[in-house]
Amino acid sequence: MSKRRQKFEKIVEMFVELKNTSELMMDLAYSSLLMNSKELAEEVEKLEEYVDRLHTDFELLVLSSGFKREEARGFLGLIRLGVVTEKIADAAAEIAEVVLREIAPHPVLKLTIEEAEETVTYVTVSENSPLVNKTLREAKVPEETGMWILAIRRGDKGIRPKPQTRIQAGDILIASGYAEGEEDLKKLASP
Amino acid sequence: MPYFEKIEYRPVPVRELLLEMKNLSELMIDLAYSAALFNDKELAEDVLALENRVDLLSYLLEMEIMLAARDPEEAESLAGVSTVASAADKISDAAADIAAIVTQKIGIHPIVGEIFEKVEERLTRVRVATQSILLGKSIGELELAARMGVDVIAIRRNKEWIIDPKENEKIQAGDILIARGTSTGLEEFKELCEGKRRRLED
Repeated sequence: MSKRRQKFEKIVEMFVELKNTSELMMDLAYSSLLMNSKELAEEVEKLEEYVDRLHTDFELLVLSSGFKREEARGFLGLIRLGVVTEKIADAAAEIAEVVLREIAPHPVLKLTIEEAEETVTYVTVSENSPLVNKTLREAKVPEETGMWILAIRRGDKGIRPKPQTRIQAGDILIASGYAEGEEDLKKLASP
Repeated sequence: MPYFEKIEYRPVPVRELLLEMKNLSELMIDLAYSAALFNDKELAEDVLALENRVDLLSYLLEMEIMLAARDPEEAESLAGVSTVASAADKISDAAADIAAIVTQKIGIHPIVGEIFEKVEERLTRVRVATQSILLGKSIGELELAARMGVDVIAIRRNKEWIIDPKENEKIQAGDILIARGTSTGLEEFKELCEGKRRRLED
């Protein structure tokens, strides 16, 4: 693989991380509203700082990639894409701020989040759930339900899920996906 | 100068306005990324048109909120609603910024599109083959969201884009579909469209 190609792959990799993180932040921000959870809102604020740093690194990488004069437009396009992910992250942080400022979320917000095409939801894992004691990799929740696990709440701790995270009875799973998957997730978590 | 439609107050429930803003802004982001990465001018223009719609909704929502507060407590919680609405508006602006990369002919380096397709797992673009079992089936009857966590957000047919297709829209050979969803679901969906997978699993 050429050096140039490698550089492109690195740029795209960073951009995808920016894009995915900004989208995760929106989901977490809506979850924080839905559950009126300061802890999730704080997670969004932390991710915002992460995105700010990553965005700077991304811009530096693009600018230092030694593009040719005639490629300048294409690289400007990349820079602008980066700016957009940062805007989305800011919007998510503003939503989280509503919760952090202790404004009780208006009931209409909960209704909107629940009715939206892409929704966030939370379920408690009961003792008799097939998920108990499985790692997230083994549990295959997205394959079974079409819902992504965004975060796990255990007692008063929040856990960002990794493939090797083991699900326990009593865990609250916070998930996003299409409204259609919600019922399946509920059945799986508390049959 | 762009054309600005005159906005007059009309009663629409806050919930309805906010729901449409949230759905549209998220749809726009996915469409805009697709437009940018595949350098698709028509799709980019559709995103810009949707942005106008979100702006209009945003005005109507602000008006509703102003009329709704009856006491300080309600004003507090409605301020939260207004913040969330403005976040959705910002997201639609962000989508329009992406679309502008295409409409202003700035473009993105072609290698990026190619690599992006390989690493991005939540968005896919696929052409429906003549041997696909999805032919003639409507979007609604396929129950893609329930089956595999996939949602078709746009169809390219006869040189035009059908944005957010309705339940009764039937899939035809040669359609180019843009879909979003989980990575495993999208993989399955792609194989169904390409005719490599011959059965719909429950």
